[in-house]
Amino acid sequence: MKSCLLASLIFAMLCGMVEAEAAIQTVAIEGMRYVPERLTVQSGDRIVWKNQDLVPHTVTHETFDSQQIAPEASWSMVFRKSGNYPYRCKLHPGMHGTLIVR
Amino acid sequence: MKTSHIPSIFAILISAAASSVHAAAGPTDQQIAAIVVTANQVDIDAGKLAESKAQSAEVKQFAKLMVTDHTAVNKSAGDLVHKLKVTPENNATSDSLKKGGDENMANIKKLQGGAFDRAYVDHEVAYHQAVIDALDKTLIPNAQNAELKALLVKVRPSFIAHLEHAQHLQSSMGQAQ
Repeated sequence: MKSCLLASLIFAMLCGMVEAEAAIQTVAIEGMRYVPERLTVQSGDRIVWKNQDLVPHTVTHETFDSQQIAPEASWSMVFRKSGNYPYRCKLHPGMHGTLIVR
Repeated sequence: MKTSHIPSIFAILISAAASSVHAAAGPTDQQIAAIVVTANQVDIDAGKLAESKAQSAEVKQFAKLMVTDHTAVNKSAGDLVHKLKVTPENNATSDSLKKGGDENMANIKKLQGGAFDRAYVDHEVAYHQAVIDALDKTLIPNAQNAELKALLVKVRPSFIAHLEHAQHLQSSMGQAQ
C-alpha cells in the first residue's frame, strides 16, 4: 500500500515536470493577419491566439475550430500531435497561418 | 451596372477630404466620431437588408460579415468616445453619409435576385474605397486625440480586407455573366 502511494506520488511529480516544461506560445491577430503567420512549436506546447483587432476572427483547421474570437479575447489549444496545421479565418478569406508542431 | 447612389457616396467623402485641404481646419474629433459611427451604421443597415434579400450564398455571407464587423467597430468606437467623454457631433459629412445610405437602401430595395446582388456589391466596393480615402486624407490626419487616431489607424486594415472581399465578389459576378 505504502509503495503504491509512493509510486503515485512520483508519477504525479513527473507529470508536473512534463507539464512545467511545455511552453506557451502566442500568435497575435492584428491588422487582419496572424503574427507570426508561420510558427514552429514543440509537441505539448499551448498556443494562444490573441485577437488584437477591432473585429472578430476565427482560427480554423479541418481538425479544430476556435469559433469566433471577439476583439480583445483569446483562444488557446495544446498541440500534442506533430505535423503541419495550415489554418485560416472562416470570416475573412485573406487570412491564413501555419502552425508546425515538432 | 453602377447605380446612381454610388457617385453620391464618393462625392460626400471626397468633399470631406477636399474640405480639409481648403478649409483652415479639418473636422474636429467630435465630428470625426460622428462620421465613423454613421459610416459604420450605413453599412450595417445595408448588410442587414442584403443578409435577407441577396440571392447568392457568397453575397449573403459577405453581408453577414459586414454586419458583424461594422457592429464590432462601432462598439469599439462607442466605448472610446464614452471613455474620452467625446460627444459625437453631427456635421455636413455625417449627415450626407446618412442621406447617401438612405438613398442606397431605397435604391436596392427595389431590385431583385442577381440585380440586387450586383447593386449591393458594387456599392460595397465604392463605399469601402471611399471610406479608405477619407480615412487616409481626412480622418486620420485631422484626429487630435491619440487614442482616436490609433482607433482609425487600427480599423483601416479591416476596411482594406472588406474592399478586397467585395472586389473578389464583383469580379466573380462579372465572370458569371
